[in-house]
Amino acid sequence: MSHLTAVRKSLPAGAWWVASTCLAVLFLYPLYIMVSQSLKTPSEAAQAPPTLYPHRLSIQNYQTLSHTGSVGFLQHVTNSVVVATGATLATVILATLAGYGFSKLRFPGSDVVFFAILATFMIPFQAIITPLYSILHTLGLQNTLLGLALVYTTFQLPFGIFLMRNSFAALPNSLEEAALIDGCGILKAMYRVLLPVAIPGLITTALFTFFTCWNEFFAALILLTDESKFTLPVTLNILAANSLGGLNWGVMQAGVAVTVIPCVILYLLLQRYYVNGLISGAVK
Amino acid sequence: MATSPAHGRNSEVQPDLGRVPAETAAAAPRRRHGHTMRRRRQILGVAVVAPAFIVICVFFFVPLVLMLWMSLNNWPLLGAHKFIGLDNYTRAFQDQDWRDACMFTLKYTALTTPVLFIAGLGLALLVRRATKAARFFQSIFFLPVIIGLAAGSYLFLYLAQPGLGPLTDLARQAHLSSGGSNWFSTATSALLIVTAMVTWKVAGMQMLLLLSGLQSIPVELEEAAHIDGASRWQSFRHVVLPLLRPTLALVLVFSVAGSLLAFDQFYIMTAGGPANGTITAVYQIYRTSFINFDLGYGASLSTLLMIVLAAVSALQMLLLRNSDHN
Amino acid sequence: MRTTKVRAGAVLICLTLGVSACGGGGGSTTTTGATGKASGTITLWARDSEKAFINVLADAYNKNNGVKVKVTIVPSGNFVQKLGTAASSGSGPDVASIDLVYLPYFASKGVLEDITEVANSLPYKDSLSQAHRKLATYNGKTYALPFTAEASVMFYNKDLFKQAGLNPNKPPTTYAEMLTAARAIHKLGPDTYGFTFAGSCGGCNIFEFAPHVWASGGDVLSADGKKAMLNSPQVTDALNFYHTMVSEGLVPPSAKTDSGVAQPAAFQSGKVGMVNLGAFFVGTLVGDKKVNFGLAPIPGATGGTASFAGGDEIAVTQGSQNKVAATDFVKWATSEEAQTILAKAGIVPVRTDLLDKIYVPLDPRYKALADALRKGRTPYSVVENAVFNDNNGAWSKMINQAVFGGNAQAAQAQAQQAAQQILDRG
Repeated sequence: MSHLTAVRKSLPAGAWWVASTCLAVLFLYPLYIMVSQSLKTPSEAAQAPPTLYPHRLSIQNYQTLSHTGSVGFLQHVTNSVVVATGATLATVILATLAGYGFSKLRFPGSDVVFFAILATFMIPFQAIITPLYSILHTLGLQNTLLGLALVYTTFQLPFGIFLMRNSFAALPNSLEEAALIDGCGILKAMYRVLLPVAIPGLITTALFTFFTCWNEFFAALILLTDESKFTLPVTLNILAANSLGGLNWGVMQAGVAVTVIPCVILYLLLQRYYVNGLISGAVK
Repeated sequence: MATSPAHGRNSEVQPDLGRVPAETAAAAPRRRHGHTMRRRRQILGVAVVAPAFIVICVFFFVPLVLMLWMSLNNWPLLGAHKFIGLDNYTRAFQDQDWRDACMFTLKYTALTTPVLFIAGLGLALLVRRATKAARFFQSIFFLPVIIGLAAGSYLFLYLAQPGLGPLTDLARQAHLSSGGSNWFSTATSALLIVTAMVTWKVAGMQMLLLLSGLQSIPVELEEAAHIDGASRWQSFRHVVLPLLRPTLALVLVFSVAGSLLAFDQFYIMTAGGPANGTITAVYQIYRTSFINFDLGYGASLSTLLMIVLAAVSALQMLLLRNSDHN
Repeated sequence: MRTTKVRAGAVLICLTLGVSACGGGGGSTTTTGATGKASGTITLWARDSEKAFINVLADAYNKNNGVKVKVTIVPSGNFVQKLGTAASSGSGPDVASIDLVYLPYFASKGVLEDITEVANSLPYKDSLSQAHRKLATYNGKTYALPFTAEASVMFYNKDLFKQAGLNPNKPPTTYAEMLTAARAIHKLGPDTYGFTFAGSCGGCNIFEFAPHVWASGGDVLSADGKKAMLNSPQVTDALNFYHTMVSEGLVPPSAKTDSGVAQPAAFQSGKVGMVNLGAFFVGTLVGDKKVNFGLAPIPGATGGTASFAGGDEIAVTQGSQNKVAATDFVKWATSEEAQTILAKAGIVPVRTDLLDKIYVPLDPRYKALADALRKGRTPYSVVENAVFNDNNGAWSKMINQAVFGGNAQAAQAQAQQAAQQILDRG
């Protein structure tokens, strides 16, 4: 039985609906403005004071956007997709393996290693970005999407390992032992028995990593030099600083929309996993 | 298939050697070989942890050590570097720009932490019911969390633009401000706008974490308090809050850490202005390393920031995690 | 296992230390000089402000020479940082088009190749922009050739002048005349302003504000680049002049936080009477066809004129693997063919001997720019970025505080101290 049903309602129904709806409007307002501004004609977008909604719908801003920069916006979208997906895959695989190891395959010193990995939470990557740049160059990875993806993986791993370890720890050993008795190898046991049950945690890790990498700004700003390799957030920066003749906010908002909407869609589709995984994984 | 007991010595149980990888061929749980199996499990443990650990080593620990070494040097981006011991650190303590940046960061943290917490808690209490409607609103409140600080910053940068922005326009129509005023023109008003953006973006996450914490509090306790005649506020203060402590600790640690490390939003929305009035610690580190190309000094500032962060987090955990942690 | 990890880590550290210590990445196989035939591919980094013409230029070069130039556009705001970090890890381009104010810095750090011989071999070397040549010289050696030029001039809206009862063919020549004009224009309406500038932009103001100081006989930096002069009386006068305009409401409110984007937009909207900008803006306005504008030299307190000579220089990097080809391109960039392409794109050429031939005829207003370039000045400093161009630096902060806050002398004193510290640290 859910705890929630038994809780005395904090507000009478009417007041609750009013409050919730007002807050929802408040929360959705900036996103509405983003969409509305991007769909205005360029001249209406430049109006001051601004109009509340587009009087005439136009996708011209998006068209202008696709020709922005020397490589076209689609390239930047692709870059973001490549980096975010790559980092997500790497993080999920490495974190699942490591999470399993930390929870089920303890070895001497595993606690120390785990703690060391967790301690990285406390260290902002902004601090080590410069030596990181040097190291990437030594490995021949600087100014590459692969290098950036690896950096992102590094910074998502602690959280991912933490989540996956918790996921696996919540599973009884007997499941695994049964599988082992059945004759599976250890890794096979993990694959066939434990992983399916740990899928929610896995999806959460994947989503969390994806969102963070898709939206990451600072490392991409520093570690990528070629404009053709820029991810979306850095491209927004160029949009904002570029035009010498003045900033076209309609195009700008179109750029923000393109950056935001994939995340929103992904979230709406998979929020069940994301939210539940976050709660069960993090608040333990 | 065979279900021999864990310590079975049933030598008839033979794994199918053809299908099982060689190194686990002897994994049949026979007590005599239990020790070997444990060993193998440990080795496997190291093997599965190693890839992640290697990545973290190469891309985190090594740069970290390098950074610490750099902080003890006069290390310009271009040119030779030389060892100067702790000079960078003494310079930091006398650096007015650094002190201003730290002060501002603390101010920002002191402002956003309670605001975020109250917003998150309020939202959590609001959606703390089992109806579909509550889940619907919960989704909406959480939505801004996934869009990224950069995108959010550009959104609000537009909203608050002098003349062009819808928010400034609304304020003008509501007679709350004059037509041409520039909300970014003073450090205080710029700070408020950035705080508004961060609250909009992060409150949903805090709401979620607090909600899950609230859900783990047995309902019976609150009901009992209600029966005993406690008002809602009293029951909240004396029953809910203490039990919420572990969650509170978690939420606050992340909130404070995030605020102390703020950069993106200021870089995008205020560019540190006006007149450097909104430069945070990380922003100052960025300036030192990537604008002034003074890497050694920048590394020392980073180290100081790290130490402060660790200390603050440890302190918070100590103070708040009083209750038994499972 | 632990020891191998430590060893690997140590090796990595040594590698990175070694790489950084080289400050530019290994030696190139070719030496300087134009000997040998240029061939192969070279990479060129240009700022995004050059994207309108840089590809045209590269194509023109690729057609006629055995060398292929590959252009990479780097955002202006990050150019210095990116070139610096790339150079420090040896991954920079063969040729770089660099904002001239940064030349002393990069030259002093050994990022650029010494091309003194090439520069001296040019038959037209003395008619290359003087300011550019000065900036490209470090310790007596030349490290770059002038590439594109820019000059700051005052743009004024002729229609607004007429409406305000001012003579559209006689732009202001002193602070007092500017003030009168600004006041008259602001009287036309509450949303019409007399003057605008970028209040939170270091680079903009060394371009647009410093000429006021120079025209009044002062300076912001000593000629050898070693002493800051931010507390000089001419600076005080200029700051107070701007402050007067701000306090009388003659400047739009967006100016205070403008990092350079709002000032051209304001003038383009036809609601601002005067703004100091450069050649790049002419093209924008002409394309807009909205504002009837004129150009005038930037005035000093009681007369005199001055201009900031800006633009880019083009250099071969130390880390280039194909210096012969790179040097050939750099030389070609100053040729009449290349400079004509630039002129057609609205860029002021760096060849003063060609200005009247390829540039001025394109638009009568260009004459003001050509004249300004001939007399243009540029501060020389190896820490120009940190002191002047940095939007959060001493110069920008001083202007913002003094002009919008009012206490010029206090702001100047603080800025002078901060700037001198940076200069001393060098």
